[in-house]
Amino acid sequence: MNPAGSRLPLRQAAQLALDSTILLAIAGLLGGLVNTLRPEATRLPWVSDWDRHIETLAFRAGIPVTFLQGARQRVGDVATAILDARSADEYAAGHLPRALSLPVAEADRRILDYAHRLTPDTPILVYCGGADCDDALELAKRLREFGFRDLTLYPGGLAEWRDYGGDVLAGAPP
Amino acid sequence: MIRARPLFIWLARIAVAAVFLGACIAKIRDPEAFALATHRYRLLPGELVNAVAILLPWLELTCGVALLAGPRRARAAAAFLLAGMLLVFTGAISLNLLRGIEASCGCFTTRADAAVSDGWNLLRNGALIWLSAMIFLNAWRAPARSKTS
Repeated sequence: MNPAGSRLPLRQAAQLALDSTILLAIAGLLGGLVNTLRPEATRLPWVSDWDRHIETLAFRAGIPVTFLQGARQRVGDVATAILDARSADEYAAGHLPRALSLPVAEADRRILDYAHRLTPDTPILVYCGGADCDDALELAKRLREFGFRDLTLYPGGLAEWRDYGGDVLAGAPP
Repeated sequence: MIRARPLFIWLARIAVAAVFLGACIAKIRDPEAFALATHRYRLLPGELVNAVAILLPWLELTCGVALLAGPRRARAAAAFLLAGMLLVFTGAISLNLLRGIEASCGCFTTRADAAVSDGWNLLRNGALIWLSAMIFLNAWRAPARSKTS
């Protein structure tokens, strides 16, 4: 046994722990300082209420979520029904290509309008105005109660779709 | 004549540092978008999401600079931390893939139209973990070598 040899890794491990802590401290100081000095509009609070974020609510409700790439894919897939949960007026002002209007407040009555197009296994993408609206999630939950099984929420909604150059169609629902 | 191993370690340091220095830019520029990307992994308690979004990019930056320009001990610590981070990232991406979450990894961009994570992300991370481990071992063994020589 070589006591000097066994001491070296221990000393090195202690040095590694110390050096790692120093790097962590530098990063922490820089991160905290820059965040504090940012303009208020871009400053991130140290704690936000993510538990009430629409994606968390969807996750808890068991409604799968997709993002821009997934939404683009589904809009391009004619087998998927795209449902706009906003009011008919908002739909008329602009909506995703192929989207059908199904305002959440009128879902119980209006769903019959689409009975010939939708089966319980039809893949359905629901959306509303953007991440700060919950109409699409509420519609998805209602549709699940009606027996639809393949539901996906697009929380980015029309706002994100438009921001990233997606086609937006205007016109009243048929 | 240039020896192969030091050259390889040099190139590995440049490659790993470049990846992390490149990765931190978008996150530092838009911490809110990075917080959302972090939240989409659904692994952290909500109370920790913003703190991670604020601090993690700066840890990437600090480690990237240390790896590139730091002394031996700083390089060892940076490679150690980066390998640890990469292991955590890889585990998180794997979980997302297993759970069928169609999110982008949030690694190099926070844009909504970033590509969705796939096996390629895991392969890339595996290569980066290996390079970081090589850099770490090289820096870690240096004093032992100097003592025995």
